[in-house]
Amino acid sequence: MSDTLLAILHMCVFPGGAFALLVAMFFKGLDRRVEARLQRRVGPPLTQPWIDIAKLLTKETLIPKTACRSAFLLAPVFGFTGMAACAAFIPVPGVFDGLFNMGDLLVIFYLLPIPAMAIMLGGSASSSPFGAVGFSREMLMMLAYETPLLMILLAVAMLTGKAMNGGAWGAEFSLLNIVALQQQVGSFGLNPLMIPAFLAYLIFLPGTMGVPPFDIPEAETEIIEGPLLEYGGPLLAMFQITSALKTFVVLGLGVALFFPGTICDIWIINLFWFLLKCLALMLLSLTLVKSAMGRYRIDQAFRFYVIVPTALALCSLILVWVM
Amino acid sequence: MASFLKILFRNVLQGPSTDPFPLGETFTPDRQRGRVKINPDLCMGCGMCKYSCAAGAIDLRPQQDGKGFIITVWRNSCCLCASCRHYCPTGAMTLTNDWHTTHAEEDKYNIVEQQKIDYVPCAQCGKLMRPLPRQLAEKLYAYNTEIDRELTRTLCPECRRMLDARRNAGALETASEQTQQQTGA
Amino acid sequence: MSLNTMLKKLSVCSPWLFRINAGSCNGCDVELATTACIPRYDVERFGCRYCGSPRHADVVLITGPVTTRVRDRVLRVWEEIPEPKVTVAVGICPISGGVFREGYSIEGPLDKWIPVDVNVPGCPPRPQAILEGVVLAKSIWMKKLGLEG
Repeated sequence: MSDTLLAILHMCVFPGGAFALLVAMFFKGLDRRVEARLQRRVGPPLTQPWIDIAKLLTKETLIPKTACRSAFLLAPVFGFTGMAACAAFIPVPGVFDGLFNMGDLLVIFYLLPIPAMAIMLGGSASSSPFGAVGFSREMLMMLAYETPLLMILLAVAMLTGKAMNGGAWGAEFSLLNIVALQQQVGSFGLNPLMIPAFLAYLIFLPGTMGVPPFDIPEAETEIIEGPLLEYGGPLLAMFQITSALKTFVVLGLGVALFFPGTICDIWIINLFWFLLKCLALMLLSLTLVKSAMGRYRIDQAFRFYVIVPTALALCSLILVWVM
Repeated sequence: MASFLKILFRNVLQGPSTDPFPLGETFTPDRQRGRVKINPDLCMGCGMCKYSCAAGAIDLRPQQDGKGFIITVWRNSCCLCASCRHYCPTGAMTLTNDWHTTHAEEDKYNIVEQQKIDYVPCAQCGKLMRPLPRQLAEKLYAYNTEIDRELTRTLCPECRRMLDARRNAGALETASEQTQQQTGA
Repeated sequence: MSLNTMLKKLSVCSPWLFRINAGSCNGCDVELATTACIPRYDVERFGCRYCGSPRHADVVLITGPVTTRVRDRVLRVWEEIPEPKVTVAVGICPISGGVFREGYSIEGPLDKWIPVDVNVPGCPPRPQAILEGVVLAKSIWMKKLGLEG
């Protein structure tokens, strides 16, 4: 019973729920601020994501007459719960070991596409032609970036499994063990075998977060924000929160997979060290790319994902297999 | 993207280039075309501005009592093309560099530049008219030194014509004297 | 201060902008684009964002003299915007018709069809004037929410 309570606590307070939300919103504000600085602008205040949410809560909700009402209303909730649950699986090295110690990498892999699916669901339920276009684009992007992600996860799992089995073939899908191993033998991000996989992960991030140059499904200039077109008010706020949580999840996952090192035994310092690494990852792979690039066409983006990150991840996978 | 990274790095070093405007001051060029200004001393009421105004922003109508006219520029219709300034013969129309035109809907019809211009009685006959601006008179009669500019500019067109005719008639007199001499001879 | 009032007070700091081109010559649209794209006029300082969907909008910036062809579309898109919304007429065309005023295909001025809140005259207005308009729109939005700005 107390285990269940603890699990719920982890999902609602730390590291999922409140903590993840606070961190993610702060990151989002910082992201906008840094992007503005990179473009020689001043940018919005750091609290802007919170203000946006507050604003959206005061607006009225309009539901299109032709929309599928229940799916339209449920889609944001679906995405939010998926991500809130997923955030609890992210281990904070030295502070928290993750919710389960068996196969949680696979759970994260299955939970990660939920926000994208929620967007697809909402887009198709809104009965708007732009929503349908956005749906198909989101689907294509998902196909494109999930493949390299799977290979990256497999490479990490195999490397850990081999090391734990003493060189024999094996795979380890527990984030706890992955983190523990890296704390012994050094971060995978510095391992020459895993550098291609890390690069692939860096490329995977902007795709999954839907930021330029891969914000094709929600392109506001061509298909007027696609699936989110009909959403407004609190429902849109929920999508925004989901996207913020997803930022936390993918950044935390990246840190856990490649740089989970701790610097001392005091948990608060470890926590800030973890956040610092997340921030560095975000600035490198999201903010910098976002402010430097324009938007790809969907076919260009698909071809890019199928070729570049997949090849990089495959390279790592084969290296791990052979070595 | 690599070339962009250099630019981004430079941008971070240079810091934001944003104007502090609504919170602070901003830069306004001297020749910025902004609010129209009418100089009531120079305006003759010729209507050239009204004729040339592309946006139909200028209205020119006599006062109710007939003692002058009212010239109005509705700034919500003014397209800032400055053709009134270009075509105004007396230079009464100018465009200032004040561009703070934003206003709420209830002020929509109050955003006007309006001048009530009174006629002045003619120095000779007392008929109501607009005196010629001094600068314009000086420009017009620059080569006619025999004309008294100060007097001429305060005369109504009728009296001016009479004055002119009288002067020209004086010149003719000498001509008739010549013919008299010829016939006499 | 109740939670509702607090949310409302906060909400004014996040006006999302939406552009409607009602048959404009694109002069004003270019000036609108400069407020977002040129660092000097950075409109994001006030929490603004140009959004693609009318459903997300709070402040509507309408340019153009409302041509016959586009009138019904403008009205329809304007209806799609959730309340509370603030309408800003940018440029002289939506305010008075401007240089197009008596054209055979002009249905303007805009306030014949839509309650306008803020006027930003100019042909086109300076980007700074548009920023002024957005700031004025914020105070009008405050009034619409029942709070004095």
